[in-house]
Amino acid sequence: MANGTAKPTGLAFSRETFAKLTPGPFLQAHLQQAEPVRANGRSLDAFRTPTINTGSLSHSNGSAVVRIGDTAIVCGVRAEILLASDIPNPPSDDLSKDEIVEQMGLLVPNVELSTGCSPNHLPGNPPSTLAQALSYRILSLLHTANLIGLQDLRIQYAEPPTDDDLPDEGPKVVTKAYWTLYLDVLCIALDGNPFDALWAGVLSALQNTLLPKAWWDPDREMIVCSPLASEATRLQLRHLPVASTFAVFSTASLLKARSEAKSWVLADPDDFEEAVCVETVSVVVTSEDDGRESVLKLEKCGGGHVGKIEMGQCVRLAHQRWRDWQVVMSGG
Amino acid sequence: MPLDTSTYSLAHLRLDGRRWNELRRLSASISTSGSADGSSYLEQGNTKILCTITGPQEQKQGGARRESNEAKVEVEINVAAFSGVDRKRRARGDRRSVEMQHTIATAFQGVLFTHLYPHSTVVITLHVLSQDGSLLACCLNAATLALIDAGIPMSDYVSACTVASSPTSSEGDGVDATDPLLDLNGVEEQELAFLTIGTSGEEGKVLVLVMETRCRVERLEGMMAVGLEGCGRIRGMLDGVVREHGGKVLEARVG
Repeated sequence: MANGTAKPTGLAFSRETFAKLTPGPFLQAHLQQAEPVRANGRSLDAFRTPTINTGSLSHSNGSAVVRIGDTAIVCGVRAEILLASDIPNPPSDDLSKDEIVEQMGLLVPNVELSTGCSPNHLPGNPPSTLAQALSYRILSLLHTANLIGLQDLRIQYAEPPTDDDLPDEGPKVVTKAYWTLYLDVLCIALDGNPFDALWAGVLSALQNTLLPKAWWDPDREMIVCSPLASEATRLQLRHLPVASTFAVFSTASLLKARSEAKSWVLADPDDFEEAVCVETVSVVVTSEDDGRESVLKLEKCGGGHVGKIEMGQCVRLAHQRWRDWQVVMSGG
Repeated sequence: MPLDTSTYSLAHLRLDGRRWNELRRLSASISTSGSADGSSYLEQGNTKILCTITGPQEQKQGGARRESNEAKVEVEINVAAFSGVDRKRRARGDRRSVEMQHTIATAFQGVLFTHLYPHSTVVITLHVLSQDGSLLACCLNAATLALIDAGIPMSDYVSACTVASSPTSSEGDGVDATDPLLDLNGVEEQELAFLTIGTSGEEGKVLVLVMETRCRVERLEGMMAVGLEGCGRIRGMLDGVVREHGGKVLEARVG
């Protein structure tokens, strides 16, 4: 303006503009208050409440829909039969039963993130590094947790005695086929922390899975399944591990002295917080048969803030989260 | 044969207990996903479809920059591996999916007010969670609701349904019942000749008509008449869902 009588407008941004322009300082401004609070209004160690719906898909053996805040995933379990005669290298006898499940690959998880669940995962792309990494993490956690015993996945047949057998030997029991469980997980909406939701979905879907009654028919030389729902058996899980993920927001930078850096541990990060945090900690907690809680898996990657004390706090919060989840999973 | 000739002519009931002109239970809700611009979830019988809309957004970089004064509608269909009777991982870009995507995209290109958003793209993503017949029709219905939730102006609802030509797959044979069947489920679709019809507007302007099986020419008019009537009823149901949601939003704002 030629005549400078108009008052210049101040540089006051709206909240949303501030968040978009400088997300780091926006979050830091929230955390630095006397009562630290996060940008989404939660306290530092507050998790989002999950909701689980099971059994809604008619064509699957088991299914679950899990919503944690705005993150929503759908998991479907399909069981298919693997004939023992089709296995090129049968498992050796000295393997324990749980090792057989892992070696034969009877549990097959697959995480699909390229569904348009968020602007970072556009549909039509091959699986990104994150999707592949999540699939592998779920697979390794399934095997470590030893959730399903081999006896639930085996279809055995007691061969009738022949003339060659000794009279006091019992009937020879042979495994004719195995059930292979394909766990397909679709991410419908992603608002941070996919791993917790995916794991909860896999667990709830497995708990909900019904396997039909199957037996070997010696005359037709094939596996026959009963179509009656009353004869189907529900899969038994040995225990219910729960995953909790934390993100660490830090003001550390190469331009400042290390002692000047401040860090906060945020439980259950959402998409905005994940974008500004580098360090993450994942804790999987379960309970032993005698009721004691134990840590099944610990993963930490990123920066260098979390030490012994902070890790202890994360594990304590994860234990609390396990107790909350037991209520949801047994009620849902 | 899904429909035993003798029992159908006795009671005129289909396998799932419906008569020739009864629709399956349709339930839908909109605004189901917080992160997308528009979203909806639709169930027609056991066919369950989730739809999310992203857009209108900037044209994607790369490739020839499309000079046009209109928005482009792109459709992506994700069929989940656990959706059908057998577990099948659908390869991306297999011809049936591509054809369905093209059909849905051209249908909405004609209905949306694309001249309001030049040089932009509207992406419709459909997730098929469970398939039990009438897939294309349910996709169109779900996409309509999601586009309304996204706030993209359109001239009218697009509603679609399937119609079969007759209750038996063998023509003639002295079967008196020649009523076309409305809204087929998975078993009926595999056995009978059927078409998918999609209309827009109260007067029933036909936007989509897909038929991949053979049927006699004189049956066609009857099938289309039944289909138009079914689409009109579905349009009423979709309208009800949108108004109910609108009422809730208004209450939350005002009350």
